[in-house]
Amino acid sequence: MTHTRRQFIGTIGAATALIGAPSILRAQAQGTFRIGALCPVTGSGSPFGSGMQKMIIAAAEAVNAAGGAAGRKIEIVSEDTQTSPQAAVLAAKKLIDVNKVQAVLGTWSSGVSLAVVPLTNDANIILMNTSGAPALSMPPANAKGLSYRFQATNDRFGRAFAEICEKEGFKRPATMAFNNASGVGNTEGFRKAWEAKGHKLVESVVYEPNQPTYRSELQKVLAANPDVIVTGSYLADTTIIMREWYQSGQPVKWVMPGWAASPDLVKAVGPDVVEGVISVDSVSNENAPSYKAYDEAYRKATGQPGQSNVYAAMTWDMVHVLALAIEAANGTDMAAINAKIREVSNPAGQQVYTYAEGKEALKKGKINFEGASSVLDFDQYGDVTPDFGVFFIEGGQLNRRYVVKI
Amino acid sequence: MEAYFIAIGIIALIYVILSLGLTLQYGLTGLINFGHVGFFAIGAYTSALLALKGVPLVFSFAAAAALAGLAAWPLGLVSLRLRDDYFAIVTLGFSEVVRIVITSERWLTNGVQGLPGIPRLYEGLGGSAAQLAVLVTVLAVTLVGAWIIRRIAGSPFGRLIEAIRDNEEAVQALGKDPARFKVQVLVVGAALAGIAGAFYAHYITYIVPDQFIPLVTFYVWMAIIMGGVGRVSGAIVGTAILMLFLEGSRFLRDIVPGVSEVDMASVRIGAVGLLLVLFIMYRPQGLMGDYTKR
Repeated sequence: MTHTRRQFIGTIGAATALIGAPSILRAQAQGTFRIGALCPVTGSGSPFGSGMQKMIIAAAEAVNAAGGAAGRKIEIVSEDTQTSPQAAVLAAKKLIDVNKVQAVLGTWSSGVSLAVVPLTNDANIILMNTSGAPALSMPPANAKGLSYRFQATNDRFGRAFAEICEKEGFKRPATMAFNNASGVGNTEGFRKAWEAKGHKLVESVVYEPNQPTYRSELQKVLAANPDVIVTGSYLADTTIIMREWYQSGQPVKWVMPGWAASPDLVKAVGPDVVEGVISVDSVSNENAPSYKAYDEAYRKATGQPGQSNVYAAMTWDMVHVLALAIEAANGTDMAAINAKIREVSNPAGQQVYTYAEGKEALKKGKINFEGASSVLDFDQYGDVTPDFGVFFIEGGQLNRRYVVKI
Repeated sequence: MEAYFIAIGIIALIYVILSLGLTLQYGLTGLINFGHVGFFAIGAYTSALLALKGVPLVFSFAAAAALAGLAAWPLGLVSLRLRDDYFAIVTLGFSEVVRIVITSERWLTNGVQGLPGIPRLYEGLGGSAAQLAVLVTVLAVTLVGAWIIRRIAGSPFGRLIEAIRDNEEAVQALGKDPARFKVQVLVVGAALAGIAGAFYAHYITYIVPDQFIPLVTFYVWMAIIMGGVGRVSGAIVGTAILMLFLEGSRFLRDIVPGVSEVDMASVRIGAVGLLLVLFIMYRPQGLMGDYTKR
C-alpha cells in the first residue's frame, strides 16, 4: 500500500478537525461556576499533583452537595502543568480561553506559578498557588492582588529555622542548599533571620542536583566545625548526604524541612543515622474539623492518609475559600468575589470548618473559615502564615515536641 | 478560543525558528548540534536582562542574536576537528555549561530564582491586540528566516555546505576549507536560536534555568526529523505536527470516555509518545522528506 503526501496531510487535517470539534460545543453552561484545576500531575511534582487535583474535585463535590455557591454548581476542568512553565502557560491559556474558567487553582512549583500569574492577571481572574518563591507576593506578579498563596513562603520557613536554632541553643550553624528556588530560598531566609538576630553563619554551601555523591560539599561544611547544619534539601539528596555524613563520624545536629526529613528518609537510611534530626514542616490544621473532613476525602480518593500530602490539604482549602467568597459576593463578578476572599477567611467572624456550615453562617453575618492546611489568614500580599511543627526523630519515629509561631 | 490558538501559534513559531537554525546546521551541513538550547538560553537571558535594564526591545533582540551567534564562534573553532558524534557530545556539553553558568552567576541572572516580570512586546496595545501583534511579528521573522535559509540552500554556498555534509574529503580535495563554512553555519544557526530565545523570554515573561534543559533541543530534533531533514518546509511542517500532538492531546478527554481527570494527564503524555513512534515507523523520512534518495 502506498500513501501519498496529500492523503497523509488530509488524514492529519481530519484528525485535527475531530480533536478540535468538541471544544466548540463547550459554551459556558448556565448556572455553573467553572474552575480550572492546574496541578503538576506529571513531572517532578507528580508525587503530589494527582492528590491535589483529586482534592479539588472532591471539594467541589462537597460544595455542590451543599447546594453550590451563589446558586451555582462548581464545575472543575483539569489540566496538567507537567511541572514545566511552558506547558503550564499553554494549559492555562486553554483553561482561560477555551474552557472560560473563572479561577485557576493548584499551581505548585514557583516557576509555573510565576509564568501563569501574568495570564490570570490579564484575564482578571484569581490564581491560587502552593509555591514558595517570595517574588509571587509582590508586583508585577501580584500587581492586581488576585493571587493567593496557601503555602508558607521559603522566607517564612527560614525564619522558623532561625527560631528553632535559637531555642535549641545552637551557636555555629552552617547551611546546605539544593540549588533551586525553594532550596536556596529556605537557607537564604534562614541566613537573613539569623543575622537579624545578631548571629553569624560559619559556612554555607549550595550544591547541584542529581549528584551521586555530596562528599566534597559535606567536607567543606564540616571543616567549618558547625554545631548544626540547616538544609534546604529534598529526599533523594538528603538520603545521600546523611549516609556520607554518618560515615564521616563527626557529631553535628541537623535541621531540615519536612519534605526531606520524612518517614521515607528514616526508611532509606535507617533510624540510627537520623537519630536526633530535627524536621520542620508547616503543620496542617490537624485538630480542626476541616482537617478531618479533608482526611476522610483524601483517604477515600487515594487510599492514603491525608498527612502524606500537605499540598492536597491546601487545594482542598482553595475550593472552600473560593466557594465561600462566591457565596458571600452572591454572584460571579470577579472583583466582588476577590474582595470577599479575606472577609470569609480572616478573623473577626464566626469560625466555620465546612462549606455547608459556612454557607449557613453567612446568612447571619461574618465568617472566618479555618482550613485543613492552616487557619488561612491572608496578609496584604495574599500570603498565609502557618504554624511550624518541630519534629525530633527518635528511634525512627517523628515526634512533635513543640510548635513555632512566627 | 482564538487567544489559545494564538498562544499555540506563537510557541509553535518560536520552535519553527529554532528548527530553521537546526535545518541549516544539520539538514544542510550535517553538523549534529545537540546543544541548540544553549543558544536559545543565551538569547533569552540576553534580551531579558537588557530589557529589564530599560533597553528598547529592538536593541535587546539584536543583542540576543549577536551574542548567541558570538557564543557559537569559539565553539565552532575548538570543535571543528571533531566528527559527527564527537561534535554532538561537545555541543550537548556546551548547552549544559550554559545552563550551569546561568544557574551559578546569581549576581547577573538571579540564579535559580529566575527573572520575573520581563517586559512583553507591544505592552502598550494591551490584551488580545498585543497577542495578535506578537503573533504577526514572530510570523514575519519566521518567514524572513525561512526565506534566508532557502536562499542559502539554493546558492553556491548552499551547494558547498551540502557537499561538506555528503563528503568532506571531496570538498577538501577541491581546494575548499570546510572549517570556515562550518563556523559560519554554526553562527547563523545560533543567531536564529538567539532570536527565538528573545521571543520566548518576552512572551513567557518569566525565565529560569530549568526551562533550558536538553529536552528543548530534542523537541526541535523531533520536529525536523518528522518534517523531513534538510527541507525548510520540513522544519515548518514538523513543528506543526509536534505542536498538534502535544496540544491536540489536551482535547483527548473530550473523545475518550471512562478515564478519570487525573489519569488523563498520564494517558495524554503516553499518547504523544505513541504517536511519535508510529509516525517515525511509517514515515521514516519525515513528511516533507526527500523520497528520491534512499
